[in-house]
Parts: sequence; structure tokens; C-alpha cells
Amino acid sequence: MAVDRKRRRFFKAVALLGLSGRLWSVGHEAEARPLFPSPVRTNRLRPPGAVPEELFPLRCVRCGRCVEVCPYGSIRPLDIRNGVFAGTPVIDVTKVPCWLCMKCVEVCPTGSLQKVSQQDVRMGMAIIDKHSCFTWKEEGLLCHTCYNVCPFKETAIKLQAMKPVVVEDKCTGCGLCVHACPVTRDDGEKAINVQPVYSFDAAGSGHEGR
Amino acid sequence: MQQGVVMKGVSRTPGSSRTGKRRSYGRLRLVTLLLAFSLIIAAPILNFRYHIDFIQGWYQSVSIGNLWFVSPLEGLETILTSKGIYGPLLVGMLLPVVLASLLGRVFCSWICPISLLSELLERVIRLVRRRRYRAAGNPLPRQILWFVLVGELLLAMILGAPIFVFLSPPGLVGREIMLLVMFGTLALEGIVVILVLIMHLVSKRFFCRYLCPLGALLALLGQRRQLKVEVDHEECVQCGRCKLACPMGLDPARQEGGSAYCWNCGDCLDSCQVDALHFSWGQK
Repeated sequence: MAVDRKRRRFFKAVALLGLSGRLWSVGHEAEARPLFPSPVRTNRLRPPGAVPEELFPLRCVRCGRCVEVCPYGSIRPLDIRNGVFAGTPVIDVTKVPCWLCMKCVEVCPTGSLQKVSQQDVRMGMAIIDKHSCFTWKEEGLLCHTCYNVCPFKETAIKLQAMKPVVVEDKCTGCGLCVHACPVTRDDGEKAINVQPVYSFDAAGSGHEGR
Repeated sequence: MQQGVVMKGVSRTPGSSRTGKRRSYGRLRLVTLLLAFSLIIAAPILNFRYHIDFIQGWYQSVSIGNLWFVSPLEGLETILTSKGIYGPLLVGMLLPVVLASLLGRVFCSWICPISLLSELLERVIRLVRRRRYRAAGNPLPRQILWFVLVGELLLAMILGAPIFVFLSPPGLVGREIMLLVMFGTLALEGIVVILVLIMHLVSKRFFCRYLCPLGALLALLGQRRQLKVEVDHEECVQCGRCKLACPMGLDPARQEGGSAYCWNCGDCLDSCQVDALHFSWGQK
């Protein structure tokens, strides 16, 4: 009996320790960094139909077929400075954006890029910086460049009171607007930038995880 | 499938073996290597400059029309690290796996771009040194190859990142060519290719012999292959030329042509002066 009580006390202690550890770690979970931080960031996106970023570098065999088939030279492979992400494809939309021809999706042998229709592509979402956009700053300019170049004009981007507004659930993140935007901020970004908001959330990406 | 067909490398009539017209596997192999290399040069040019997307890729994944290949090791690595199976990937791996299990490591000796570069380098070395390139002997035990394969797969799974896919020398050759053709730049990791070639100073095909995990996987698949180099003991005069010629440091005269390490390049057949070696098909 005594042994049994001792044992019970031990288990209780272990459970308490475990629980406290759990509680302690909750506050730190947000800071947990992956072993290899992803190279995907503002205006540097995965090609259309990409699986979530947690899975992408594991699946991609770095065969470069998406890079080769891209008729615009939008897709470029990363180099070894990106560690384990070397060879994976990214699109830097400030240099060459994506025209959604969907050829890369056709040739991917690993399913890292999955079949998706043009309007369902979610490479990211364009966000207008109202502090640097000519039109939003109200300097008397009516620059509608981003609106004019959008392949889904009036669907993914609209004009409200003559000012461009991105329709969040329609924007494909192709980056044509970023490329065309005449404003370049001091930090190298534009007045409209594509954020890879879907890349890091497997549930919300809209693509099948596996 | 016992006592299979014997394919003679040379038409063998008594007494004429030395003077008779010899079929050179070395030359044939060089042509094949050059053709395989021109494929990966042509792919980015056709795709990028002329928008003809009939062929793409290099020897990590190649497509010729609708026929897709995926390198078995790269495919296996992504399956292991992503812990999921994608059908088309498996189909792409099928043909290379069948090829390797029937013919052994022939990809390495007849197709791989590193093989072509090594072959050319060896020719240059021979030209410069003007004497027989130090070839025979194994600086390391051959079994290291298997440890490299297991270690590489384990490391990939531990890190959660397929390693060979971005550091594979044959893949890097393709990637560098593509970057050069399409963007006019080179990537830093191309230095791996140069390192692999420098390893030739230690022994012939040092990387292929001991360190290439892809070669190890193909050798493993081809352990019970059909195509083998066999020696005719009655003809063999034990001159040792085949051992000197073998890029893998094997001794075909002692039937090492049937071992998993042989990659069926045919250099020993070329070197044999008495036609004691031949390719044979089928289990003995």
C-alpha cells in the first residue's frame, strides 16, 4: 500500500511538472522558430499551386522544370545561401511577376505545385500601403496603375472613390501590380506588396495539404 | 533464366582477336554521354529561347514529351521526408528502377553528366601526364558506399530536408547549365561539382566509388541484375589490364564484374587483349 501511495504521489508530481511545463511553454510558442526559416517573404513567393511552406521544401526535388518551362523567366531557383531551400523555386514579383500561364503546375513531377485554376491561385495577397501610395496619400494624383494591370480587374481590385482597393478573397498574388507600381519605398518595397499570407497556414491555404 | 544468352563484345575467331575489328565500348559510351549531356543543354535553350516545352529538366527529373523520369533517390528522399506518396512521382521513378534492376548502375556510367566531365578530365590528365593515370587500387573499402546511402537517408529524415536533392552533383551540373542559359549567372553550390572532380586526384571516380548515394541506391537495385561482365577463365592470361582499366577499381578477371559495384561501363572489355571478358545476360 505504501508503495502504491508513493507511486501515486510520484505520478502526480510528474503530471504537475508536465502541466507546469506546458503552461510555461504556451507563452513561448509564438516565438518558436523552425530549424530552417523559410525564404518566402514579402514579394518573394512560391509559384502557383504550391503546397504549404511547411511541406514544400520536403517535397520539391529541385529538378528545375518549373523554372525551365516558365516562358517569362519569373521563376528562379534559390541558391545555397538559402540552406536547405537551395534549388527551390521562387518568384520575385518586383523583378518579374507571374502571368498565371500555369505551365509550371503542369510539369511539376512531385505535386509540390498542384493543379489549380487561374482564379483560385493564392500565391499571396496584395496589400496597399496607404502611406506611400500616390492616390491614397492624396497629393492630387490619380495613379491607377495597379488597378489597370490586374488580370482580374474589378474582381480582385476595385476602385472606391477613385482609390484602388484590393478584394482580399479574390486576389491571386500574381504580383503584376507590384511590378507595375511606380512607388519604391526606402526599404525597397512598393506601395502595393504581395504578402505570402497563405503559405504558412496549411488549413487556410485553399490547397490540399498532401 | 539460367544459362542465359551470351553477348560477345567481339566476334571471336581463333587467332584474329588481336587484329580483328574491335567494338569499342569506350567510344560508344562517350557518344552516349555526350548525347545525354546535350539533352540537358538543349532543354533550357529550347524552353526559354524558343518556348518549345517538349523536353525539360536534368537528371533529377527529366521529361521527354509525356514520358517523365524521376531519379529514384530524389524520389525516395521526398517520400521519406514529406511522409506522403504522390502517384505521378512513383510512376516517374518506375522506369529508372526497372532499368537499374536489369542493367545495374548503367545510369552512372552511360548517362550521368558527372561521368562525362570525369571522362573528359581523365583524358586531359592523361594528355598532360603522358603516362598511365594512377588507377588501380582502392584507397578506401568499397563498402563505404552503403554506409553513405543509409547515412544520407537517415540524415535527410532527421533534418527533415532532402539533402541529395540540392547537393546532388549530377543535378547541380544541370542547374548550373540552366542558370547560365536562362539568367546568365551561376550558383555558388556548383563548387560541389568542382570538388567532386578534384577528388579524381585521390583515385579514379573517387566520388562515384565511395560517396555517391544515388550510385549506391542504383547499385543496390542492380545487385541481382541481368547484365554482367563475365570472365572466361580459359582465355584469361591474368595480365591485369582490366584491373588497371576499371574506373571502379574492380578486378574483372576475378569475377568482380558480377559484384554490385560494377557499373557495366565496358572499359574492361576494351582493355582485354585476349577477349576473355564479355557481357552476359541472365543469372548463372
